[in-house]
Amino acid sequence: MSSSTEIIKKSSQSKNIITYLIVGLVFLVALWLSTQNEGPSKFPKYVTDQFTFTAWVNEGEDFLKKNYRWMTKIVAGYIKACYYFVEDFLLDSPWLLIATIIFLPCLIAGGLRLGLYSLFVVYFWGATGMWEPSLQTVALMGLSVLLCVFFGFILGVLCSQSDRFENFMKPVLDTMQVMPAFVYLFPALFFFGIGGAPAILATMIYGMPPIIRLTNSGIRQVPAQTIESATAFGSNKLQLLFKIKIPLSLPSIMMGINQVIMMALALVVLACFIGAEGIGGQVWQAIRRLDVGWAMEGGLCILFMAIMFDRFSMSFSKTEERIPDDVQKFYFLPQSWAKYSLARIIEQPIKISHDVIKYVCLFVTGLIAYFFQFLISIFNKRTANDIKEFISKRYYIIPSFIVFFLISLIDTYLVSFGSFPEEWKLSIRQPITNAVESLTVNPGFIAFTKSLRAFVYLNLLRPLDVFLTHIPWWYTMAVFVALGYITVGVRFAIITAILLLFIGACGIWSQSMITLSSVLVSVALCFVVGVPLGIIASYSERFRNIQNVVLDAMQTLPYFCYLIPVLMFFGGGIVSAVLATVIYSIPPIVRLTCLGLTQVSGTYSEVSRSFGGTLIQTLRKIKFPLAVPSLVIGFNQTVIMAFAMQIVTPLIGGKGLGLEVFNGLARSDTGRGLAAGIGIVLLAIIIDRITLAWTRKQREALGL
Amino acid sequence: MKLSKTISALFLSLVLLVGSLGQAHAKRLHAAIADWTGGIITCEVAVAILEKEYGYKIKQTVFPSGTGLWEAIAAGELDFACESWPSYAEADSVMLNEDLIYEGKVVGSYSGDGSVDLLGTAGIIGMSDYWIPKYAADELGIKTWKDLNKHKAKFATIETGSKGRLIGCPVAGWNCHDQKRLDLLGIDFQADELGTEAAAIAEAKAAYMRKEPFLLYLWSPHWFFGEYEMVGVQLPDHKVCDPDTFTEANNWKDCGTKGWPATGWAKDYTMNYGNPATFAKAEHADAKKFFENMSLQNIDQAKMLVEVDIKKRPVKEVVKEWLDNNPDKWKPWLK
Repeated sequence: MSSSTEIIKKSSQSKNIITYLIVGLVFLVALWLSTQNEGPSKFPKYVTDQFTFTAWVNEGEDFLKKNYRWMTKIVAGYIKACYYFVEDFLLDSPWLLIATIIFLPCLIAGGLRLGLYSLFVVYFWGATGMWEPSLQTVALMGLSVLLCVFFGFILGVLCSQSDRFENFMKPVLDTMQVMPAFVYLFPALFFFGIGGAPAILATMIYGMPPIIRLTNSGIRQVPAQTIESATAFGSNKLQLLFKIKIPLSLPSIMMGINQVIMMALALVVLACFIGAEGIGGQVWQAIRRLDVGWAMEGGLCILFMAIMFDRFSMSFSKTEERIPDDVQKFYFLPQSWAKYSLARIIEQPIKISHDVIKYVCLFVTGLIAYFFQFLISIFNKRTANDIKEFISKRYYIIPSFIVFFLISLIDTYLVSFGSFPEEWKLSIRQPITNAVESLTVNPGFIAFTKSLRAFVYLNLLRPLDVFLTHIPWWYTMAVFVALGYITVGVRFAIITAILLLFIGACGIWSQSMITLSSVLVSVALCFVVGVPLGIIASYSERFRNIQNVVLDAMQTLPYFCYLIPVLMFFGGGIVSAVLATVIYSIPPIVRLTCLGLTQVSGTYSEVSRSFGGTLIQTLRKIKFPLAVPSLVIGFNQTVIMAFAMQIVTPLIGGKGLGLEVFNGLARSDTGRGLAAGIGIVLLAIIIDRITLAWTRKQREALGL
Repeated sequence: MKLSKTISALFLSLVLLVGSLGQAHAKRLHAAIADWTGGIITCEVAVAILEKEYGYKIKQTVFPSGTGLWEAIAAGELDFACESWPSYAEADSVMLNEDLIYEGKVVGSYSGDGSVDLLGTAGIIGMSDYWIPKYAADELGIKTWKDLNKHKAKFATIETGSKGRLIGCPVAGWNCHDQKRLDLLGIDFQADELGTEAAAIAEAKAAYMRKEPFLLYLWSPHWFFGEYEMVGVQLPDHKVCDPDTFTEANNWKDCGTKGWPATGWAKDYTMNYGNPATFAKAEHADAKKFFENMSLQNIDQAKMLVEVDIKKRPVKEVVKEWLDNNPDKWKPWLK
């Protein structure tokens, strides 16, 4: 028994040694090859000359423009008209009306806390002078969410009704979700030109997967008994769908809407690159002018807006918690404080005003209901009763509309509220800029940032850049194909080869290697910073809680907001681009390290400790090996996010494929931009598949 | 059912959105925001006057300048853009079909397909060159670009290795061909493209503070020259080449080292340009007339540049102040 385990151990050890040897050998050969090359490795010229992808795309674009532009123009024109309509309404209405339109739904759906928060958000938009761009962003987002939910819901219902359709949609949805957001912007630009309309269309497509998935799964998860009893009562298929299945799956659908909102906000902000209006454009302008305070204000506007919409849409899928009768219900302070008398005293007036408002609302709604009942009962008694019931059930909404109406009336006939009052403006732009400037002239700080820049550039980026660009392309390709073969299989190896050949044939090989090296350096730095944070979080719950709040906030921010702090402290340049990538893509690795370590069941570490293992030993020998699958998923997500970030880093001096995309856009060379964009996606897909397959293998080996 | 209630609330508020709309539609135009401060100011002057005097509602979109912008205007996705510099625009000879007139005299003529309308001169006359700080020129004895190679080690950074570094044209879409120019002139420097005007200027400013030598691409009017003493390296004079043979495929070489881009830039009479279909409409006749008359002077732009870039004030505010204080300068454009 013991000898057999020893043999297994030995064989696995020798296998390990062989693997290391092979990896080492591959690396050494690569090193030798890269020193042989004088300049960067180039794809054979006759291939790149033959394969003129850029020219084909541009010709295709010209063809489409000539023959089908009228069609897309109609669609774009229609959406543009809708958008201008909403935007005009939001911008021309008195500010008080807009504030109440945002405040009241938040108050009704999310309670007093969300209501007050929404007031703060609205104030912040106005105070920082971002009133117009914020509302433009809201308009763009609202329209795209509306379209997205409409079409997504229909597709979701179709999926739930037909297995064949679901099987067809599944791979489509999978691919849609792997793609980084900006990928959607290019086709939109291609077909619909620049501005708000293509942004809405791109966002619509980008945001659809979650709503389709969640509608589908919500409907499919309706309990069989319910369906059976409905059928027993003689419902036909349509009745079953609309009366039973869809109402029962509403919480799941609302979950989908929440995700759609968050995704739409992220993409709408990014869509400033294709000429959409809104806060994204403000942040971009601020970055262009290196105005840190301005950029920060824009970033905060987006962050606050994101949190507001998130909480608002979440409050629909949340069920209200039941409170025992003898405990006072709290509207503002946390319910757990009910045991303190001071808290109860503070809550008392709030409770009273809540009751009063509720009574008034009920009364007003009741009056209106009676009025309508009376009016209609002249013609038809039954409809009148139905209408009365319909109205009196909506005792918050009807008064809200009365409030909106009153405000509009007062604005038109008595006092004009106009735009957000100037005297309430409170710009935090200057203080932020001053604070940053005072820090950036501090000699100690300059020394720190300078040495960090020099270290990252000289020791990490440049060697890796030179290494990756100088290795012959066929060697890099062979390594990737071999990796694909070992981890996934023959089919994937062939696909990898084709994808890499495409990149090479487009003539963007060296740029893609530069991108790869930036991504790898960023991911390495993410590991260096993220893993220790994850370890600390896995040991201290308090630290974990604080960290989670920060990470949540980080993940709701659209990604080019991360350029701001980096720009602030490090200026522009390729190193800054790497650092911004690190900040953006660090959350998954921190989270998943923590998750992996806490998931390792207590017994393992208990056993290790009882055998006298120290903390470090337990961590290294027991916990880490068991947490590897989780770590690899973290790695996988970090890599994908790092690739997605490459599209915005050229704004602060990033190089590689992202810069190609920008140049393509600036020079109206769609083919060039598209090729580079596709290049980023292909690299991301290859690495994604390889790491995912590797995780699966690790899991199987560990028996998880 | 809390849920259906709230959904109907959402729905009703949308109905309200639609229902309460009754304002008359203003005349709309869609302009591009340039990617250098001077261009932003020139455009803001035009936008502010159009909004104030003609009741326009103008949407402004951040868009990188370059051929992409010209095509967006030709396609009618944007209506106009301001202050195009002919030396940088590559699309002008293909897309414009008009004479450029500055103060009554023809300073350039185009015979393209007319897919973009030349609205008129912007007024600004630009000059571009490579510059070094005066202290470096004195200390190293650099008089022209020919002296640069001798001192290239002084201009090197960790990123450029043994070559000197040019803080080059920041935006790819401007088509400066810095590296090509350096190579053709035999200057062993590397052009560094920093992405934005602000980034390039910040880099130059930091170097000036440290009294390090640096080579900077820059154009005037620019506030930088008011703050810091700079000396041009006197690139060879601009010479017009034959456009048929002088192409990228020929490596820009048939003009010899005298030809562009192995020369400096020409004097740039900048212009505003727009979509022909938009400005042919009767409702935009006022705007078209305005653009024909507009002529912002370098000195005025320079004054506003100082306010915006050094005092860090918002562009809108600065332009409004200038309009309020100098009605005699812009009122004549309204005729």
